[in-house]
Amino acid sequence: METKGLTGVFFYSPVNGKPDALDLADLATYARSLPEVGTTWDVSHLPLNDPDTIAQQIKKSEAQHIVIAGDTPGMVKSLFSRAMTAAGKDPEKVHLASFREHGISDRTQAERAKAVIACAVYGVPFDLAAQPEESSVHPDTLVIGGGIAGIQAALEIADANQKVYLLEKTGTIGGHMAMFDKTFPTLDCAACILTPKMVEVGQHPFIELMTTSEVKGVAGEPGNYKVKILKKARRVDIDACISCGQCSEKCPGTAPSEFDAGTAMRKAIYIPFPQAVPNKYLIDPESCLYVLNGKCGVCAKICPAQCINLDEQDQEVEITVGNIVVATGYQVFDATRAEQFGYGKYPNVVTSLEFERLVNAAGPTGGNITLRTQDKRGNWIFSPESDAPGRIALIHCVGSRDENHNAYCSRVCCMYSLKLAHLIKEKLPDAEVSEYYIDMRTFGKGYQEFCERIRNEGVRTIRGRTAKIEERDGQLILRSEDIEKDTLLEEPFDMAVLAVGLQARDDTPELARMLGLSLGNDGWFMEANYGSDPVNTFSGGITIAGVCQGPKDIPDSVAQGSAAASRVLQSIIRGTITQSIGELPLAGIESRARELCKRQEV
Amino acid sequence: MGNRVNPNISKELKAFGKGDWNDCFHCGNCTAVCPLSENGFLFPRKGIRHLQLGLKDKIAAQVEPWLCYYCGECSETCPRDANPGELMMTLRRYLTAIYDWTGLSKLMYRSKGLHIAFMIFLFTSVMAAFGIFAQWNHPLNEAGLVPINSFAPAHFIEFADQILLAILSFFLLSNIFNMFMKVVVKDKTVKIPIRMYITQIPKAFWHFATQWRFSKCDHKKFYWLSHFLTMSSYIIMFTLIVVFLDWFQTEEVHPITHPQRWLGYYVTFGLVFATLYYFIGRVRRKQEIFKFSHHSDWIFIFLLFMIAVTGILIHLFRINGMPQATYLMYALHLAFEVPMVVTFVAFSKWSHLAYRPFAIYFSGLKSAARKLQTSN
Repeated sequence: METKGLTGVFFYSPVNGKPDALDLADLATYARSLPEVGTTWDVSHLPLNDPDTIAQQIKKSEAQHIVIAGDTPGMVKSLFSRAMTAAGKDPEKVHLASFREHGISDRTQAERAKAVIACAVYGVPFDLAAQPEESSVHPDTLVIGGGIAGIQAALEIADANQKVYLLEKTGTIGGHMAMFDKTFPTLDCAACILTPKMVEVGQHPFIELMTTSEVKGVAGEPGNYKVKILKKARRVDIDACISCGQCSEKCPGTAPSEFDAGTAMRKAIYIPFPQAVPNKYLIDPESCLYVLNGKCGVCAKICPAQCINLDEQDQEVEITVGNIVVATGYQVFDATRAEQFGYGKYPNVVTSLEFERLVNAAGPTGGNITLRTQDKRGNWIFSPESDAPGRIALIHCVGSRDENHNAYCSRVCCMYSLKLAHLIKEKLPDAEVSEYYIDMRTFGKGYQEFCERIRNEGVRTIRGRTAKIEERDGQLILRSEDIEKDTLLEEPFDMAVLAVGLQARDDTPELARMLGLSLGNDGWFMEANYGSDPVNTFSGGITIAGVCQGPKDIPDSVAQGSAAASRVLQSIIRGTITQSIGELPLAGIESRARELCKRQEV
Repeated sequence: MGNRVNPNISKELKAFGKGDWNDCFHCGNCTAVCPLSENGFLFPRKGIRHLQLGLKDKIAAQVEPWLCYYCGECSETCPRDANPGELMMTLRRYLTAIYDWTGLSKLMYRSKGLHIAFMIFLFTSVMAAFGIFAQWNHPLNEAGLVPINSFAPAHFIEFADQILLAILSFFLLSNIFNMFMKVVVKDKTVKIPIRMYITQIPKAFWHFATQWRFSKCDHKKFYWLSHFLTMSSYIIMFTLIVVFLDWFQTEEVHPITHPQRWLGYYVTFGLVFATLYYFIGRVRRKQEIFKFSHHSDWIFIFLLFMIAVTGILIHLFRINGMPQATYLMYALHLAFEVPMVVTFVAFSKWSHLAYRPFAIYFSGLKSAARKLQTSN
């Protein structure tokens, strides 16, 4: 069929006034450069309520097909079909080049818009013409991050008898979930859910656990990534250590415990927490006196297993994997940035993560909720002997839903604050607990019921964000507006818990650069499609799972871990992997569309 | 009181200032962070709520915008960047227009052109009056100074001032009466005993004289200082010109120890300092309170500055024996002063000078009456 010059392209993209809007003139020039296209029209400024004017335009040209290109051309398709009929042409020969449908919103995506137009001109679905190439896949997988999402993904893949490298930056897997006391809304013990999975990871024949390790560089292509990994010196031989703990007892170096969110101290040679996996000691070079100034070495001297090598050096290893699952999690919002709450200034203004450790039976006070007090040396510590707070305030949305910090909702804070309120009521039934919130976001199964339950337990919930905390006579004074009661509250409390939000880890941009991933405006990793493809990325063979894609709770993180694993297994079973979306250049899509078009005609 | 809803009020308010009050999600931060907000008179959030709902009568009956001195703390900490502080400013302009029954205020706030045209009209009228009626040629007196009273006799100017004052007072007082009706009389929830009208006066007067409330704005004492300087300078100048011109506009130059000189210098310093401070602030737009400037703000600064500059020049030309220049400056001084007084005092920005103390007075009445009601 001779198609030269028989297609006409109508541009209908009403100006949205944005300075970075697509340049329609440029797209029209491109469209006319296709041999099949005879004429183009820009009808963005027409009211488009009369098919006759369009029909006259079509009649004047020789067009047999028409393409409507624009933001949402589907809205005006019927009008153009009627115009085709009125012009005596086939009303079926109207194709759409929809920018929005293909995620095109501004001029940086002009190439993609052109490709969409080309596919419409050739009458070939864009997804077909722009389908990335396939290549063979290496069966091994790298999971970055040993939190609950990474653990879940690693177990799912390893349970299918596929080799997994599980990379973890700290000395143990478990992530933030290991620090929590209970999970909402079921109030299950977090450790009871998590630790069996951690043990399983530690013992799994198909999982190679790499702790104190981080990614240094990624080369290769989808299906065959060469990943450089920096294995930091643990200075303790994992295979030989018998976890007797004699080294830690004698160790003179101390540092705030990461696992206890800084509420307690640990030694320089330590096990992060009793259920850590691997359950072996490690040395923190930043607090070890031997590493710092070469004087000490007491641990090596007394170790009965002779497993401590204080001079061990960092190593770099390279592994080859077909797929990478990114599950790097989050960091909590730095509460010192929200100066109005006086975190860091007033000892009994604590973050929710610190409080989580305080209520935990394995925490610094053995699960007694007590005030932070000064010890003999003047340090502010949590001690089981101190008094219990009588009035506790929980402040929601610290660092979240705030244009001055993170504009997004961190999603979990309402629920975990309710959970903490319950735990306080359980341990201190006489304590007065008040929650200050903006909106109570109880979004999941059983969550609203949980909220009602906590309210019925006598927890006071006040609609109104606390504006500031001041200390007067050793009491914290919270100033807030009670919106429902139309009053200004200035109330004294013994302790204030800041529900700090979640935000992307500081090292996220670096990792994104190495992996070729893009980041959203809010700093989280970008998924291929928020609604329909939430764990894939635009880079082939790289999936994302857990909070690193955006704030979510434990059930959602676990679900995403499983989803990412299914993507990985899919490619391993099929033996091939799709190349990164967007790798195919415009010329490639155009020629493929033309080829597919010819094939259709034959 | 029934609540009539005007869904377009947000749009109408755009002419009076800038704000994104539809962005507000009612977290209550602004009200709680405000050092001046108190139970019974909560702001700014409640005003935003009324605005979002289009409750025009409630907005017209608000006294709260006058209780705010705009330190900007609410806007700085607003999690939605909804700019509640600027809304209070906008509402003050809007309320000025609402109280004014002549409609002149609304016209000038809504149209920059009209505002300027009105200024130019008054300016040229004054200049023309001097051109026609004044004697521009007088010999220097024995001290070598330019005689001022032979050009513009103090008693005559004072008389003209007082006529102007009477007219403006009529408008301003009627506007205040309007405010009183909306804020106090129409509010049926409180019943105010007559004696309270007297007992609440000292407090309102104290705040009028010192603006003590403003100094409650934490960390913003400097705002209070500059505001106090502007306000006191202007009041002193106004009183000197309208009431004591005979004493102020003298042919001899008093020694430096004489209070006439001190007051003159204080006023000059206050006005020059304040106008420059406001001008630089509004150009740089760094502080929250200066981020948005309405055209009335610019005209206000310009007039105030010109009044101060011409005042200084009168003094300089006069002691240097330059009659024509002195007279010209004198005419200009009044030509800037008259539009300032006529438009701003009764119908625009300067009227807050009256509305604020009355707002404190009315709110004091209401809260005292409420206290009485709950204790009974």
